Amino acid sequence: MANITPEEVIVTDFAVREHRSLWIDAWRRLISSNTARLGMFIVALFVLSAILAHYFWEYDPKVDLDYTLKLKPPTLVANEDVPSVHLFGTDKLGRDIFRRVVHGGWNSLRVGIVAVGISLTVGGLIGLFAGFYENINMTSLERIFLFGFTGLIMGILPAWAAAQPLQAVLMAGLGVAAAYFPNFHKDSINRLWIFAAAGGVVTAVPSLFAGSLVTLVCGVWGILTGALLSRPLEGKFFSNVMMRLMDIVLSFPGYLLAIAIVAFLGPGLEKGMIAIGIVSIPVYARLTRSAVLAVIQKEYILAAQAVGEKHGRIIFRHLTPNILSPIIVQTTMGLANAILSAAALGFLGLGAIPPEPEWGAMLGDSYRYLTSGAWWAVLFPGLAIMLSVLGFNLLGDGLRDALDPKLRT
Amino acid sequence: MTSLLEIKNLKTRFFTADGVVKAVNDVSYSMESGEILGIVGESGCGKSVHALSIMQLIPDPPGKITNGEVLFEGRNLLDLDERDMRKVRGRDIAMIFQDPMTSLNPVFTVGYQIVEALRLHNDMTKKEARKRAGELLTLVGIPGAETRLDDYPHQFSGGMRQRAMIAMGLSCEPKLLIADEPTTALDVTIQAQIVDLVKKLQQELGMAIMWITHDLGVVAEMAERINVMYAGSIIERGKVRNIYKKTRHPYTMGLLGSLPRLDDSPGTKLASVPGLPPDLLALPEGCAFAARCAYRNDHCLAEKPPLVEIDGPDHIVACWRWEEIAGINKNE
Amino acid sequence: MNEKQTPLVEVRHLKKYFPITGGFLQRKVGEVKAVDDVSFQVFHGETLGLVGETGCGKTTVGRTMLRLYEPTDGKIIFDGTDLTSLGEEALRNNRKRMQMIFQDPYASLNPRMTVGSIVGAPLDVHTRMSGKEKYDRIQDLLDIVGLNPDFVNRYPHEFSGGQRQRIGIARALALEPDLIVCDEPISSLDVSIQAQVVNLLEELQKKIGLTYVFIAHDLSMVRHISNRIAVMYLGKIMELADRDEIYLNSLHPYTQALMSAVPIPDPDLALERHRIILDGDIPSPKNPPKGCNFNTRCPIAKERCFVEEPAYREVKENHWAACHFVE
Repeated sequence: MANITPEEVIVTDFAVREHRSLWIDAWRRLISSNTARLGMFIVALFVLSAILAHYFWEYDPKVDLDYTLKLKPPTLVANEDVPSVHLFGTDKLGRDIFRRVVHGGWNSLRVGIVAVGISLTVGGLIGLFAGFYENINMTSLERIFLFGFTGLIMGILPAWAAAQPLQAVLMAGLGVAAAYFPNFHKDSINRLWIFAAAGGVVTAVPSLFAGSLVTLVCGVWGILTGALLSRPLEGKFFSNVMMRLMDIVLSFPGYLLAIAIVAFLGPGLEKGMIAIGIVSIPVYARLTRSAVLAVIQKEYILAAQAVGEKHGRIIFRHLTPNILSPIIVQTTMGLANAILSAAALGFLGLGAIPPEPEWGAMLGDSYRYLTSGAWWAVLFPGLAIMLSVLGFNLLGDGLRDALDPKLRT
Repeated sequence: MTSLLEIKNLKTRFFTADGVVKAVNDVSYSMESGEILGIVGESGCGKSVHALSIMQLIPDPPGKITNGEVLFEGRNLLDLDERDMRKVRGRDIAMIFQDPMTSLNPVFTVGYQIVEALRLHNDMTKKEARKRAGELLTLVGIPGAETRLDDYPHQFSGGMRQRAMIAMGLSCEPKLLIADEPTTALDVTIQAQIVDLVKKLQQELGMAIMWITHDLGVVAEMAERINVMYAGSIIERGKVRNIYKKTRHPYTMGLLGSLPRLDDSPGTKLASVPGLPPDLLALPEGCAFAARCAYRNDHCLAEKPPLVEIDGPDHIVACWRWEEIAGINKNE
Repeated sequence: MNEKQTPLVEVRHLKKYFPITGGFLQRKVGEVKAVDDVSFQVFHGETLGLVGETGCGKTTVGRTMLRLYEPTDGKIIFDGTDLTSLGEEALRNNRKRMQMIFQDPYASLNPRMTVGSIVGAPLDVHTRMSGKEKYDRIQDLLDIVGLNPDFVNRYPHEFSGGQRQRIGIARALALEPDLIVCDEPISSLDVSIQAQVVNLLEELQKKIGLTYVFIAHDLSMVRHISNRIAVMYLGKIMELADRDEIYLNSLHPYTQALMSAVPIPDPDLALERHRIILDGDIPSPKNPPKGCNFNTRCPIAKERCFVEEPAYREVKENHWAACHFVE
């Protein structure tokens, strides 16, 4: 039996999987799904028609009026009765419904983008900071920034109640002061009293002009906020305050709160956008926070800390790309929701001011004529709402499947 | 005499979007009643999939048993329909898994789950079943068994949960217990307790045990025979002493060399196996281990070696060069 | 080890308690004493093994040593500097001298970053290398850990566990640190891959003169790689001595039991040896027993063990233990 000697084995190193980034992977999954493709098609149709109409098909709703064409059914060719073509028919003022639906799309698109923009920015930041500092110690600079931010957010209520933006600024200042002097009467009950009193003064005094009830409410809120800000300055505390605040907002029914806000701000499409945006801030705040909490305990965050990476870099390079998936999905779904909410406000006469073309308002204008057989005046705006909402929801579902991290380790 | 379990040419495939994963390739062996068989291999070697194939618990799709026979006491389990198979599971063959947390249902008490398992296969009243469940928990060494029946799984520690799983596995006195990495998630001192318990139970109850593990250490002291698997095939099989002391397959040698021993001298380098296991989507033509093997030659790369008996049925190896390797094995 | 040598790291009476919180405002309702009064030294060029079972606090020791967790109490003296007294910026500067290799090769690499940017991250933070210099350095690092340097633009999910762990090692090596804390670097890898990684770590130590703290639950692997071994149980060090001393003359009953529980891949030796099987489970660190931590499972526990906590003391030269009954 011949003896053999082992040889040095040179094994060529190979990657176990094909080379592509997780984003490209997700994109491929997205375009291979029928649901997502249908969603993308509808969304593209909606966005494109809105943009094209806005820029290339001028429309001035104020002068669009022709009683001779009142409530004409859809016509594909011009005839004696209706001398012009109206694909979707005309409404009670003889306006072309097709034209108004397409231009209404532009308004819906704006509502969606602005409302989601507000809730995503504010809610996302709250959630990001809350989740991040719950687990990672703040530096003193970050502490000052964060407490200023807390004061600002808390100051919005009295500022709004008294129509006096000064309060939000003063509260932010109080937050900064609390963070800047952490040792001021530390461990003493005096700290609590002093900050509570300061909070009460800065909110109550500027609201004196707005009446005694407002002053009282603002003062109490200010005292509470001041007391809060006097507390030990930890990330967990910040997160708690923010999340409880979000709970308070969430405890109101969404539409009711939006209606209340519009009632306060006054009607108009822009006000409606802001109201819808504010109402869904907590959704984004909670979602972002939970996504951050899931990612932040991964070892690569610890590894980044061990390397000595700064907090900003950790947030932008490690945290943000990894929490983006659920936020993208929520944003897509949120667009659908914002369009629906705007239509609801419009229907109730709280959103767009007539004669501005807006789907909900168009429905609200025309449903009374349904009994007299003018089905087209209701059907087409309704269909537009339904289709655009469906499109964003389908796309959101597709994105959820495509971005689902469970498919890949 | 028919063996307790005889597997012939078992092949299991997973049909995925990326291609066909050849998870189990032509596995054949037999097991006698009352025997402890160790199945050793690294992740992806097919050891768990082959056990699930025996139980017919392969998720289908994408998995499918494409070939072979699984004879249990002479009866081919692959011919049984799901209803008859359900009777086999638990009563004839029981299985316990690696993670006792996910294999116990968190919303039911441990006692309830054992009682259910008992009543599924036996004609018992609830009272009898509960009494039996208490006995079983005592048998597996859970102190205060009667009161702990009403605890939920999360109130048990990891070791306790694995004991409870074993109790549930034993509930119908199966002839074969398949343990799939039962101690991998446990600490060493707890692992020692479980190994000790299983050995004791095996002696008392006389059932056969198939112990699936990646740890050559655990099976060395309990198994009578060992199957070493690599890339879905058995590459060496035999009595424990033959595997550890007269190792013939270069992969088994590599695995043993990879383990540091409490009695080795300082500064010795571990004899690691270079490279990675092959992709089961694209198994090489010849021997699956050839790419990582220090003894490969052109023959190894071209043709897959069959299992040959080198010491009767007590030692079987799949290597073209085992005779030459026999000359250099230092363990003897 | 030569005791005249000054240690690279000295940990003195380190404590790390995690608060347990509950209620509406998340008030503190209790604490987990994850690390409770632990002291040891790590000398230049050696490997100190930290072994123990789940919940013994070994990982927390590793992380607190690098001040990834804020210690509750105690001092960590790294090459003459007390890390616990450093501010944010000074600590960041010290980080380049101490690195960590993590347990889970799947979770320790950011899935959205390429291998090159993962390995290059320490270089971004601590050096002002040009793009070209950095690229070359990254390729060198990949080569050192035995990975194909062409992999720089690939993503972690394209690799196996062992390869990912090598990426993690390359990241730890990037700044040529003095100390690397290896936190269970091999426990999630397959046996043959474990040996590859351990061999790599040993080679690197010889080549670059690294000092390791090697954390693991696998006593045989720790014994293989370490010069000295500390055995931990429920937040405390039970015994610390040279590897052979621990193996041949272990004094603490827990070490003895732990050693006898390690499976031996040899059927003959396995039959021969005497096994000590401990009763019961490891108590929860939330609620450790009074007196000696080990008293609930100790085969030689007497009354005294339930009342008085044994001192951690130098029983013999360079052999420390915490048990009333060792001489």
